[in-house]
Amino acid sequence: MTSTKLYTVIYVVLFGFATAQVALEFMGLSYAVAVAGILLLSVIKAVLVAGYYQHLLYEPRSVTYVMISGLLTAIALTFAASYSIT
Amino acid sequence: MTEDQPRDDHEAQPDGGHTHRSLTEGATTTSTLREFFTRDHLPPMESVQRWLLTTNHKDVGILYLVTSLFFLVFGGVLALLMRIELLTPVNSVLSATGYNQTVSIHGLIMIFWFLSPFAFGFANYVVPLQIGAKDLAFPRLNALSYWLYLFSGVLLGISFFQGGSFEGGWTMYAPLNVPSYMPNIGSTTTVLALLLFVISVTMSSVNFLTTLHRMRAKGLTLLRMPLFTWSILLTVWMMLFAFAALLAALLILSSDRILGTTYFTAEGTPGSLLWTHLFWFFGHPEVYIVFFPALGAMAETFQTFTGRRLVGRKWFILAMLLVALQSFLVWMHHMFLTSINLEIKTLFMATTIGISLPFDLMVFSLIYTMVKGRIRFTTPFLFTFGGLLVFIIGGITGVFLGAVVLDYQLRGTYWVVAHFHYVMVAGVTALIGALFYWYPKITGRMYNRRLGKATFGLFFVGFNLLYFPMFIAWETPRRVFDYPAGLTPWHQLATIGGFMLGVAFLLVIWNCYWSLWHGEKVEGNPWEYATTAEWAVPSPPPLENFPGVPSYDSGSLDFLDETPEASTDGGTAVAGDQTHESGDHHDSHASPWPFFIGVAALVFFLGLSGISTGGIYPALTIVGVVFGAVSLLGFGMESFSVTEPELGERWPFEGIENGKLGVWIFLASDVVLFGAFIGSYVFLRVGYGWTDWQLVPHDPIPGLINTYILLTSSFCIVLALVAAEKNSRWGLIAGLSTTLLLGVGFLVNKGIEWVELFHEGIWLSSNVQASTFFLTTGLHALHVILGLLILLFLIPRAINGAYLDDERPVEYFGLYWHFVDIVWLFLFPLFYII
Amino acid sequence: MSVTYGLTTRVATVNSHHIELLLQANGRTMNDVFSMLFGVFLILGTAVGIVVISYMVYNAYKYRETPDSEVAERERPQLGELPQGSGGGKKLAISLTISAVIVIALIAWAYIVLVDVEAGAPESEDPLEVQVEGIQFSWQYEYPNGHTTNTLRVPEDRPVTLILTSGDVFHTFGIPAYDLKADAIPGQTTETWFRPNETGTYEAQCFELCGSGHSAMESDVIVMEQEEFDQWYAETGSETNATTNNTTDGSATNNSTANDSTATTTENRLLDGPAPERQLAATTRQ
Repeated sequence: MTSTKLYTVIYVVLFGFATAQVALEFMGLSYAVAVAGILLLSVIKAVLVAGYYQHLLYEPRSVTYVMISGLLTAIALTFAASYSIT
Repeated sequence: MTEDQPRDDHEAQPDGGHTHRSLTEGATTTSTLREFFTRDHLPPMESVQRWLLTTNHKDVGILYLVTSLFFLVFGGVLALLMRIELLTPVNSVLSATGYNQTVSIHGLIMIFWFLSPFAFGFANYVVPLQIGAKDLAFPRLNALSYWLYLFSGVLLGISFFQGGSFEGGWTMYAPLNVPSYMPNIGSTTTVLALLLFVISVTMSSVNFLTTLHRMRAKGLTLLRMPLFTWSILLTVWMMLFAFAALLAALLILSSDRILGTTYFTAEGTPGSLLWTHLFWFFGHPEVYIVFFPALGAMAETFQTFTGRRLVGRKWFILAMLLVALQSFLVWMHHMFLTSINLEIKTLFMATTIGISLPFDLMVFSLIYTMVKGRIRFTTPFLFTFGGLLVFIIGGITGVFLGAVVLDYQLRGTYWVVAHFHYVMVAGVTALIGALFYWYPKITGRMYNRRLGKATFGLFFVGFNLLYFPMFIAWETPRRVFDYPAGLTPWHQLATIGGFMLGVAFLLVIWNCYWSLWHGEKVEGNPWEYATTAEWAVPSPPPLENFPGVPSYDSGSLDFLDETPEASTDGGTAVAGDQTHESGDHHDSHASPWPFFIGVAALVFFLGLSGISTGGIYPALTIVGVVFGAVSLLGFGMESFSVTEPELGERWPFEGIENGKLGVWIFLASDVVLFGAFIGSYVFLRVGYGWTDWQLVPHDPIPGLINTYILLTSSFCIVLALVAAEKNSRWGLIAGLSTTLLLGVGFLVNKGIEWVELFHEGIWLSSNVQASTFFLTTGLHALHVILGLLILLFLIPRAINGAYLDDERPVEYFGLYWHFVDIVWLFLFPLFYII
Repeated sequence: MSVTYGLTTRVATVNSHHIELLLQANGRTMNDVFSMLFGVFLILGTAVGIVVISYMVYNAYKYRETPDSEVAERERPQLGELPQGSGGGKKLAISLTISAVIVIALIAWAYIVLVDVEAGAPESEDPLEVQVEGIQFSWQYEYPNGHTTNTLRVPEDRPVTLILTSGDVFHTFGIPAYDLKADAIPGQTTETWFRPNETGTYEAQCFELCGSGHSAMESDVIVMEQEEFDQWYAETGSETNATTNNTTDGSATNNSTANDSTATTTENRLLDGPAPERQLAATTRQ
C-alpha cells in the first residue's frame, strides 16, 4: 500500500502545482519572475511524473541519461537558434 | 495461431531454405492464402512469399541492399540528365522546372533513399552476426522499417506524375517550399514521402539501439565491438535525435502545405530562417550518419587486407564518439551568409574546425595500419582504399568552407558541390568495397575478381574526372543550367567522367548478379586475417546464425551449447552442429503484417498529398486509414515469439528488458520532436518580439482543466499497473477504462475550446500565433488519440484476463501516457499562461 | 567582361599586394581578402594533400603482398579474436597535433580577417548605400534618393554597402567578380559591402535555388567613373517619384525607403513584413 500512498501524495502535489501556475499569473508579479516561477513548477512536476510515475528513479540511471540527452539536444536547438537572431 | 502450418514441408530445412534449394521446390505452390497469414516458418528464398513475409535480419538486409541499388540507378539517371544538360553553357535539354526537379530529386534520392539504406543493408546483415545475436531485438519492426522505406520511395516516384515533383532543392528552403510558390501536389507528395522515410528511420534506430546495447555476446563489451558495429552504433544514436528534428521540420512543412498553417511564410517572423535551423540541425549530423558506416567498412577492410589490427583503435573509437556528439553543434555553418549574428558565427566556426580534427586522426589511423602490413589489393580493399584517398581531398577542401570569409564566396558554387561529392561519394566508394567484402558472406559465392578490379579502375578514374573539374570550375553557380562559357571544357570533362562512373556502377551491379550463378563457391571465410564473427559461420549463415551460443568469455569466440551450464570447449570457428534447432521453443521469422502496414501507409500518404483538392484523394486517405487500422490490429494480435539471449553483455542497460528500453529510446526521440516544436515556437516568438506575442486562448482555465484531466489519467494508469501487479483484474480494467474516459474528456474539452476559437474567426492560418498554438497542441492531441487507440486495444484483452501474469504492456503504455502528460505540463504554461 | 575563371588565375593573383594586405589593418575589400585567403589555403591544402596521399600510396606499395613477404613475420589477426588494436598511439598523436596546428592557425587567421570584413565599409570614405531586394526572378536596387532600378550602377573606388532582403523566397545575391555574396531572406536584412575598383560591366546572380527562373536571375552591375556616376545619379534624383515605376517591371514597390537607409549594423532587423501587394505579385508570376 505504501506505493499507492506515495502515488496519491504525488498526485495531490501535481494538482496543487498546476493550480499554483495559474495563480502565479494573477498575482501581479513582474513578468520575468512569474515566467520563471511557472516554468520552475512545470519542471518540478515533470520530474515527479518521470521519476515516480514512470519509475525512472528505479530504472538503471543510463535510461535517465538517454532522456537527458534528448532534452539537451532540444535545448541546444532552441537556445542557439533563438540566440542567433538576437 | 500455428495449428495449420505445413510443418512437414519445413522441418527438413531449419536454415530457412538457404542451401537445400531442390528439396523445397514446389512447396510454395501448395500454400494457400490462409497459410500465408499463419505460417511462422519461412518459405524458401526462391519464393516471392518469403520476401514479403520475412523478418529475418539477413533477408531484410538483402532487401535493403537490392532496393537501395535500385534507387542508386534512379538517382544516377537523374545525375546523368544534369550532366547532359551541363554539356553546354546554355539551356539545352531540360526545361527550367525539369532541371530543378532533377537537381532536387537526385539529391533527395542519393542521400535518403540510396546512401543510408545501402549502409543499413550491411548493418542489418552484418551487425547481429558481429555481436553474436540471432536477430535484431524487434524483428517485425525491422521488416516494417524496410517496407516503409520501400513504399516511401515508391511514393517519391509517384510524385513525378502529380504535376511534377519537388523542385526546391534537397535542402527544401522556405518559403519556396510552401504552396504559394510551389503549388503542385507532387511537391506535397515528396514531403510526405520523406516523412514516411523518417518514420521508418526512427523505428530502425530504436531497433538497432536496443539490439546493440542488449544483445551482445558474453565478453563482447562495448569497447570490444568490431569497428563496423561501432560505426553503426554511433550512426543510429545520431539518427535517433537528428531525424526527430527533421520529423518536426517535415510535420510543420506538411501542415503548412496541407492544413494551411503559416510557420514559414508568416509576416514579421523569421520563418525562412526557422526552416534553415531545423533542417541543418538535422542536416549536419546527417553528413556523418551517411559517412560513418563507410568509415566502419574502411576500418574492417583495412584490418583484413593489410593483416594488421587497427593502429590506435581506442582513439579511433573516441574520435568517432566525439564527432557524433559534436555533430549536433555545428549546424549553423550552413548559415554563415544569413542574418545570424557574428557571435554565433564565431562559435560555430570554432566547433566546425573542432569536428574536423577527429577525422584527421581517423585518416592517419587507417594509413598507419598499412605500415608493416601484408597488403592484398583485392577488389574490396581497392574500393575502400580509393574511398579513403578521395575522402582526404574532400576533407581538405572542406576546411576552406570552415573559414567563414571563404565560405562567403564559395557558398552556392561548385566548390561546395565538388567538396560534398568528394565526401559523400567517397562514402559510396567505401561501401561498394563493403559490398564486395561481404558479397561472399551473403551469397556463398565469390564475385568475379578480374571484373571487380577493372571496375575499380573505371570507377576511380570516372569519379575524379567527374568531380575534380568541379573544383577547377568552382565559379559555376550551383543548381543553374547556364554558366560562364569559359568553363565549358571542364563541365564537358565532368560529363564524360559522370558516364564512366555510371558504367562502373552498372558493372558492380552486373558483377553481383552474374556471380550469383557463376561465382566460385565459398564455404565460410574467404579472407585471410578477417577476425569478426560473421566469418566464423558458414556462407550464407543459417537462419539463426550460430551453431551455439556465441561467447567471447574465454578471450576468443566460442559457440556454447544452448544451456549455459553445459558449456563445451567448442574451440573456435566453424565447428558445431549446423542443423541445430533451438530447444523446446523456436523463434518466429515471418509475419505478413509489416508489408500490409507499408501498403496502407503508401495509400494513406498518397491520399493525404492531394486531400485538399478532392477527387480520389480523400477516398484514398480513408482506405489507407481503414487498411492501416486492420493491419496494425493484425500486427498486435499476432503471436510472434522472440527470445532474449540469456547471457551476454548489456552495458549500460542491464536490468531493463528489451521492450521497455525500446519504449524509452523511442520516447527520447519524441522528446526531440516536441523539443523542436517548442523550439520553433520560441524562435518565432523571439523573432516576433517575445512580449508583443498574443496568446491564442483567451483564458487559461480550459487549459488548466485539461491539465487536471491528464494528471488524473496518469494517476489512474499508475493505479492500473499496481492493480495488475496485485492480480486484480477489475482494478486493472477500472484503471484503464477511467484513463480512456479521461482521455476522451481531454479531447472533448479541447474540441470545445477549438470550436469557440473557430467561431471567433481564429483558425490555423489566421496568424503565426494561431498556427503555432493549433499545430503544437494538435500534435499533442494526436499523441493522446494514439494513446486512446492503444487503450482500446488493451481494455478488451484485459477483460479477457490478460496482463495479470505479464503486466509489461500496461507498463509500457503507462510510460508513453505519462510522457504525453509531461509534454502537456510544458505546453500548458507556454501556450496558455506566459 | 573582365572576369577571369579557374583556379590557376586565382593562384596567380596572389602577389606582393596581398602580402601587404596581411599587415594592413583595414581597408581590405572582400575581393582582396578572398584572393589572399583562398590562395594561401589552396597552396597549403594542395601541399598537405600531396604529402598525405603520397605517403598513403607509398606505404600501400611498400607493404604490398609479394611472394617472398614473410607470413609469420609478425603476429597477424586471428579469426574469432576479440577486436583489439595495435600500438602506434604516439605516431598518431604527433600527426594529429601537426594537422591541428595547421588547421587552427589557418582558421584563426581567417577569423581575424573575418572580424575586419564584418566591420563593414569604412565610414570615413562615405560608402554608397544601396538597398537590394530579390524578387522572383530579378534584383531591385534602391538608392538613397529613392530611385529604383534593375541595374546596379556604382561609382569606381568608393565603397558600396548593400543592404539585402527578399520580397518573396530565399535568394542569395552574389557578384562573382567582386567575391561578394549575401543571403536575401524574406523578413530579414543582411548587409555586405564591396569596393568596385575597375570600371566595366559585371554580373550579379542568384546563388540559392529560388524557383523556375533561378538560373536566369541575373542583373548587370555597372561600375562607372565617379563623374559619370554623379551625373547619372543627379538625373535619377530629379525624376525620382515620377518615373521609377517604369524602370522596373511594376512589381517592385518602394515602400521601405527612408527608415532602412540609416541602419548599418550587422544585426538583423525585422522588416515590417512584405507588403501584401508584393506577395501577390510574387505568387501570380509563376
